[in-house]
Formats: sequence, C-alpha cells, structure tokens
Amino acid sequence: MIQPFTPEPIRFVAEDGTPVQPLPARFTPELLRELHALMLRAREFDRKLITLLRQGRTTFYAQSSGMEATQVGLARSIRVGHDWVWPYYRDHTLGLAMGVPMAELLSQCLGTNSDSSRGRQMPHHFAAQAQNFVSISSSIASQVPPAAGNAMAQKYLGVDELTVCTFGDGATSEGDWHAGLNMAGAAKAPAMFVCENNQWAISTSIREQTASETIHIKAKAYGMPGYYVDGNDIVAVMEVCAYVADQIRAGHGPALVECLTYRVGSHSNADADAEKHYRTREEVEEWLGRDPITRVEKLLEHLGHPVSAEERAALIAQTHREVDEQVLKAEATGQPDWRIMFEDVYADLPGHLRDQEAFLRAEQTGQNGQGGRA
Amino acid sequence: MTATQERTPTQGTDADSGARTINLIQAVTETIAEEMERDSRVVLFGEDVGARGGVFMATAGLQERFGPRRVFDTPLSEASIVGAAVGMAVRGLRPIAEIQFADYMGPGFDQIISQAAKIRYRSGGQFTAPMVIRTPSGGGVKGGHHHSQSPESYYTHTPGLKVVMPSTPYDAKGLLRSAVRGEDPVIFFEPKRLYRAAKGEVPAHDYVVKFGEAAVRREGTDLSLIGYGGVMPDLERAADALAAEGVSVEVIDLRSLVPWDKDRVLSSVEKTGRAVLVSEAPRISNFMGEVAYVIQEQVFDSLTAPVGQVAGFDTPYPYVQDKVYLPGPNRIVAACVRALNY
Repeated sequence: MIQPFTPEPIRFVAEDGTPVQPLPARFTPELLRELHALMLRAREFDRKLITLLRQGRTTFYAQSSGMEATQVGLARSIRVGHDWVWPYYRDHTLGLAMGVPMAELLSQCLGTNSDSSRGRQMPHHFAAQAQNFVSISSSIASQVPPAAGNAMAQKYLGVDELTVCTFGDGATSEGDWHAGLNMAGAAKAPAMFVCENNQWAISTSIREQTASETIHIKAKAYGMPGYYVDGNDIVAVMEVCAYVADQIRAGHGPALVECLTYRVGSHSNADADAEKHYRTREEVEEWLGRDPITRVEKLLEHLGHPVSAEERAALIAQTHREVDEQVLKAEATGQPDWRIMFEDVYADLPGHLRDQEAFLRAEQTGQNGQGGRA
Repeated sequence: MTATQERTPTQGTDADSGARTINLIQAVTETIAEEMERDSRVVLFGEDVGARGGVFMATAGLQERFGPRRVFDTPLSEASIVGAAVGMAVRGLRPIAEIQFADYMGPGFDQIISQAAKIRYRSGGQFTAPMVIRTPSGGGVKGGHHHSQSPESYYTHTPGLKVVMPSTPYDAKGLLRSAVRGEDPVIFFEPKRLYRAAKGEVPAHDYVVKFGEAAVRREGTDLSLIGYGGVMPDLERAADALAAEGVSVEVIDLRSLVPWDKDRVLSSVEKTGRAVLVSEAPRISNFMGEVAYVIQEQVFDSLTAPVGQVAGFDTPYPYVQDKVYLPGPNRIVAACVRALNY
C-alpha cells in the first residue's frame, strides 16, 4: 500500500541493490533489464551531447545525469500519447523513455530543418506532438498553471487521460507553482505534479530554496496527497507513479509526487564548474555512490541476472553510434532560413508581418539598399 | 472598407431586420452566450463570473443558462486563470477567461507573454492556444489607478498576441466572435466606462468584425482624428464641435491594435494631410506612437502639420483628478486646432 506524506522517501531497493520490501511481481529481470537499458541510453545521450557542445555543434545543454530513475520511472508509469505531459527543460530522459525519437531530440538541440519546433527554441526545449509532450518554456514554473488547465479540459471532455507536470525544486518557490497547484486542487483536475527534486537550482541549494522540510508536504495546502519517493530507486518511482496515476484516473483529483534525486552534473554548460563555486566534491561523490543505474545493476545481480560488462559496453556503444548517425542525418537537413521567423507567430500572417517579411526578403536576397524598416 | 458606421440609437427593436439597440455590456454577454451555444468547446471562467455574473454583470445569467461545468468561478489568481486558459486551449477547448480588471493582469503577465503568446511559435505549430482574455480597462469610473488603467500597449509589444478594443455594441459583438472563433490568443479590452454608455444597433444575423480593420465613424476632408476604445465618444464630440466651426473631420476607430489597419489610416491621412491620435493610455511607449511613426514614415509628403497626439499623462492614474487626466473633447479639439493652424 502506497501512503502519502511519509516521513522518509518511499523506497523498494536499497543502495546496495537489496530489496527493502518485497519486489512487486511485475519487476521481472526482463523489465529491469529494459529499464536499465533506457537509463543507460539516456546517460550516454547526456555524455554525447556534452561532446557535441564542446565541438560547437550545439549551444546549450542541461544534463539529467543522476536523475534517470525519476524520469524513466515516470515515463513508464503513464500512457504515452494518451496522457499529456507539460515538462521542464531538464527532461530529455523523460522524452527518450516516452519514445520521442532520438532524432527528434537531437534535431531540436541542433536547430536543424528536421526539428519539429523549427529551430525556434534554444536547445533542450523539446516538443513532441505524437507523445503529447508539450513544448517546454524556460520560464520556471510557467508550465504549472497550463498543466492544471490541460487537466481541467480533460475533465471537461470526460476523457480518461491525465496530465503530468514536471519541474525542479526551484520551481516550487515561484508564484505560478502555487497558483497552478491550487487551481488543480480546487478543480479536482486529473493532474500529477512531479517534482524532480535534484536539490540544486543552478547554485541555490534546497536548503536556501525553502524553509519547508520537504516539497511533498506542500500538497497538503492544496488539498491533494503528497508522496515522497526515493527518486534514485526506479522501482519506487514506478510503484508510486503508477499508483498515483490510477488514483487520479479513478477521479480522486490531483496529486504531488516528490522524487528525491540529485543533479550530479552542472546546471548547464553555462555553469561548468559547480564544485569550484558552490558545492563540495564530497557531496557529489556521496550522490554518485547512490547512482540510480548502478542500483538497478546491483539489484539484477542480487536477483541472479547480472548485466555483464560486455552487455553494458555494447549498450553504450550502440547509443554512441545512434547519436553519431542521427546527428549527421539531422545536420544534413540544414538549418531553417530567415523565412521561419515569420511563420507560426499567428495562425495567419497579419499585414505588419507581411511588410516585415518583405523587408527581410529584400535584405536577405540583396535587393534592399535602403536600410530603414518595413 | 468595413463601414460599421455607428448609428444613432433608435427605438429598440426593428421588426423588419431584427436589429436591436443594446449597450456594450449586453453585446458582450449575449455574444458569449451565442458562442457557447454554437460551440461546446467554449467555456467561461474567472473571478466572480458565475453566480455573481461578474462585477460589471458582463456574464450575468450565463452560469444559470449553461451550468457550472461551462461557466465557473476560479480561485483568486490571475496567473491560474490565464495559465489554465492556455492549458485548456492546448488540450482543445476554446476558453474565454475574464480578468476582473485589466489592472490585475500583472500576476498573469508571464502566462500571457511566455505561454499564450509563444506556444505556437516555439513549438513550430505543434501546440496552439486559441483563447480569449476579456478584461475591462480604462478610466472614468472613479476607480483610482488599480481600476482605471489602460495597459494595452504592454500587450501590443508582445508578438503572438492579438489585441482589440471595441467602442460600440456592434463592434463588441463582431470582434468577440472573431476572437472566440480565431486560432490565436486575443486580449479583448472592454472600455468599462462605455459598458452602459455606448448604445447602438446590432443586427440579428451572425456577423464578425475582422481584426485589423478600422471603422470610419464619419468621413471628412480636413483632419484625421484617430482613436480606439473609451475615448471614441470624445472624438465624436470634438468632431461635432469642429464641424460647427466648418472643419470637416474624419473620425476613425482603430478597433483592433494588433493587427492595426495601416491602409485605412494612411489613406485617410493622405487625403486630409493632418492626423491627431487619441488614447487615454500614458504617452511614453503608447501604441499610438507606432501609428504616428508609420504615418510620418509612409505619407510624410502628404502631411501639412506634425502628427498630433492626445494621451494620458505619464503619471499613475489619479483618483480625484480623473476627469482632468482623461483626454476629453476640449483637449482633443485643442490638438486639432494646433494641427489646423500649423
């Protein structure tokens, strides 16, 4: 039985890989291997993107290394393409595990013609219509009230979908976060709010972020259950998220899930040396010792189905190959030209944008010697 | 051109055409009802819009008629109201959200500029937010600065938003229909001091007023007097006063700021050679500054006088001196005289 408001994070598997409570039957070695492969794929995607960044082929990157159990576990607890997701900018592992093609994620990071967002957003702000993975905004917590509205629409339409909304710990200090949870609570909307508490908002620690003992207890104020989960234990994440999703689908209204995890990398490439400036190497080492991928490997070992070094190396090599191939493919489509600036501002092209497009067309095709403006 | 000449109020129902004389707030209420009747995806919500019918009664009777599922009160949170509208629109509804006073859009501002205005663009059209934010704006109701401001220029400065403001019942109906039926987020400003003061005929048939089409309220040859929203009756009064002195003023109601009817404005100024632009919003970064810029850029040679502007002052909107703050017909006439005597 999954309980809200537990004093300690709900956990199924200890850091040494031994179950601390009976492993639910669905976690067969086959499923665990599949989850392990998804997590490792995301970890390697992370590493490859940093290489691409250093090569100057992309300009921004927000790692989710260390947070794979949270994001893969969440992805595997919802009905992809049926439920809706309002994610935040550190969710590529969630996207990958939901089946957003790697090609699509890479295209977005590279801003190529193959990017379904058409090169309009900085890297790591994905959107994937087929998965109902809604376009990401950089503005922290601004996805929370819309997620409440998305869930209210689902309730209005009488569909059995739910809305997932993710955010980091920093987002919980924003007014919009509280506004959105309050709205969802008052409307009893089918929304699952998931805090990926990685304990750092750039350089601000969770201790500076809030005087609240935890994030999940804030749910109480909005009339919804709050669950506290070991976000590095994929079994716990999936057990809690699946349970919460069922509760929401059964009409019990929204819920908040806090997954306690850790951002082992920097905030982004613009924050490259976190340990030099604001946190200790000891802290990072401590959390590296709680690595979610290692934990599944230890669990599989405990169950007598270890992932061999060769299998692991093969998975890594396969991901690197996949990234390399998809990057070349995406780059071969070229970059969108100036025309994309004026499309999708509105459904139509109003007169002032027609004028400005004509001005830029002339400038870009060398027919405008006048300067001035449209 | 779309000649929606404001007609003199007549005696109620015209049996032949079905046309009726109503006021601006009635136009809003009945248009919402008609759109809700027409499209089950349309929902209406905001603070006190349900049983109370809105603080101005713009939504009176709608919850009774359509039920609390489609017409409902929300928590007192503009960020939630606007944000929820975005999410509902993305998921396939046609939300009409009321912000009780335009002065209170602040907490919802990030939702407007970061979510509503950008989701189509940033997602390459994969996700869109067709939604309407209705909000009363403008002064003249003894409301002090937090119930009187004209913040439309903030929104005209954000690509992705459409911004309109009717001044007649006819336009309120036609523009609101366009807003609800359109595919983009619309900020629909309602000049609150005209809610009951602006009366006019509306036909019984379904019609829309397209965005980006100004209305010529009266034709003239000596000066183009251009405004929108709550100041429009003052433009008419000013034009009347000038007509008595033998000056022929063309009065244009922009109705729609983004997009705005550049062609109509420019052809009028080309004809008259003089333009005076009127709004009650503060002057710095006033939307009319853009109109003035385009006039001088495009029809400079036609101008016989500098483009005049009558605006609010760059002070917070005052409580006691609100009549002095608002442009008013005398200040408009004075600006016209300056242009005529240049």
